[in-house]
Amino acid sequence: MSTQTMVGSSPTAAPAVSAAAAFRAAVAAEWTKLVSVRSTWWTMLAGLLLMAASAGQLAIYAANANTNDDPADDPGIVAVGSVLIDAVELTQYAVLALGLLAVTTEFTSGTIRTTLQCTPARGRVLLAKAVVAGAVTFVLGLLLGGVGALVARPVLGDWGSAPTAGTIGDIVAVATYLALVSVLALGLGAALRSAVLTIVVLFATLMIVPLSLQEPDITVLNRIADAFPGVAGGHFMAGDTEPYPGAVGLLVLAGWAGAALLLGRTALRRRDA
Amino acid sequence: MITLRGLTKRFGATVAVDALTVDIAPGRVTGFLGPNGAGKSTTMRMILGLDRPTAGTALVHGRSYRELRRPLHEVGALLDARAIHPTRSGRAHLLAMARSNGIPTRRVDEVLDTVGLDGRAAGKPGRTLSLGMGQRLGIAGALLGDPPVLMFDEPVNGLDPDGVRWVRQLLRSLAGQGRTVFVSSHLMSEMQLTADQLVVIGRGRLLADAPVGDVIAGSGLAVRVRSPHPDGLATLAARLAAHGATVEPAGPDELTVTGTTVDRIGDLAYELGVRLHELSPHGASLEQAFMELTADSVEYAGGPTGGDAR
Repeated sequence: MSTQTMVGSSPTAAPAVSAAAAFRAAVAAEWTKLVSVRSTWWTMLAGLLLMAASAGQLAIYAANANTNDDPADDPGIVAVGSVLIDAVELTQYAVLALGLLAVTTEFTSGTIRTTLQCTPARGRVLLAKAVVAGAVTFVLGLLLGGVGALVARPVLGDWGSAPTAGTIGDIVAVATYLALVSVLALGLGAALRSAVLTIVVLFATLMIVPLSLQEPDITVLNRIADAFPGVAGGHFMAGDTEPYPGAVGLLVLAGWAGAALLLGRTALRRRDA
Repeated sequence: MITLRGLTKRFGATVAVDALTVDIAPGRVTGFLGPNGAGKSTTMRMILGLDRPTAGTALVHGRSYRELRRPLHEVGALLDARAIHPTRSGRAHLLAMARSNGIPTRRVDEVLDTVGLDGRAAGKPGRTLSLGMGQRLGIAGALLGDPPVLMFDEPVNGLDPDGVRWVRQLLRSLAGQGRTVFVSSHLMSEMQLTADQLVVIGRGRLLADAPVGDVIAGSGLAVRVRSPHPDGLATLAARLAAHGATVEPAGPDELTVTGTTVDRIGDLAYELGVRLHELSPHGASLEQAFMELTADSVEYAGGPTGGDAR
């Protein structure tokens, strides 16, 4: 335990570091933090189970709801991808918990001070977290899509179809949606600091409010609901052409995620850690 | 070198830190003393850019902490030993810190070894670490970037006597290498042994910034007076009080006198014909000096014990 051996003989000036190198270092640190806590693995497992269960259940509904006796009649045939997209509505809450917890546990455990001590630039910290959470949930989304398709296809039986290109496209769309939603959750978590509060706000934004708006089926309210991230993401994943092209849905969702990050950065900059 | 200029922090109507202007110089241990709620932790957090000052500046080597890209190479700090994720291991905690500042993994094992945490202890999840192990982990984190400036908030909390001695030696050795060492404590006796310079605050205000010896010397000297004649002693006590000294009976045949000198008491006793068996100056302790300095600025009833709330 000699103190002489562990510290240099004289303090030296720190080397100059580029912003890019500082950002790469912040990403490496966030990755290390994400994979070193149990909750990350639990949320992944929860996501897998939820996806398998929802995809299976929705596939059963799709097959049972089909009253046409002749599968050759095509109109009753359901693509595996559309089952996946519906299954995401529930599964997303496990996935966005990953993005959410990456920031809210820092506040509950007090490690946010260590994090900001290591990387004082608030924007850099949050962007590094978003990159790591986004990348991890994208890969997880691909895995979930694959699992969902594997479960749904045999259950659908004659009433299902799984065109290779279409299904892969749907899986990538699902993964993209999940990545953006987890970034949205992360940005909101940085602004609100509490996991419970963030999940409530997310639940309202992704589900409750747009559903309530759509309920009376009034055009104006429907258009407002279309601007919400969950609905926009749904249009994107389904490849809708109405009320706007799928790509616009993606942009709207990405806009929400970006806005949440900006909100989180402002909160981190202004408020005491 | 840490430079504080008019550093002020208000939380609503409460002034936590009040226009603090201090230089914390390299090459020595600067003790940071003050009762509970005096603003020690808030000051340290402002130096680290965690809390925004309401007014004034806190600079490290002339730069604001938030501007630093690899701050662990410039400032190492232990703020809160309990701040570790409940399921993350101590080693992963340090590894994430190291990666954030481009510090090689080898260095993590070096500092773990330095603070005496073996592989088993460092592999345990955060929630199972004792306060003492948390302190050692926090100190390891502060040393990670081999920084010229080090800050420790109550580093000996939760350590056993061996650990306390180890921290003392570590702080002295770090200062001996020319580093700036700024350490807060509520243990005055510990600071008396460890610090060279003292910064004392109360209610956020600077009460003293001086070498330890000066702070002790500046406190009122107590004199013990013992006599075999209680009546004579009472007469002497009355005369001393009349001369403005503070007299407290310390026993049936003993007085503790402050606010005057040994010579003056001796002269008075001679004039009154009181026989004395003892007339001795008490070595003033830092503890006593601290109590006197902060007497008017104790935030909570019960006096300065225990660490800061935050």
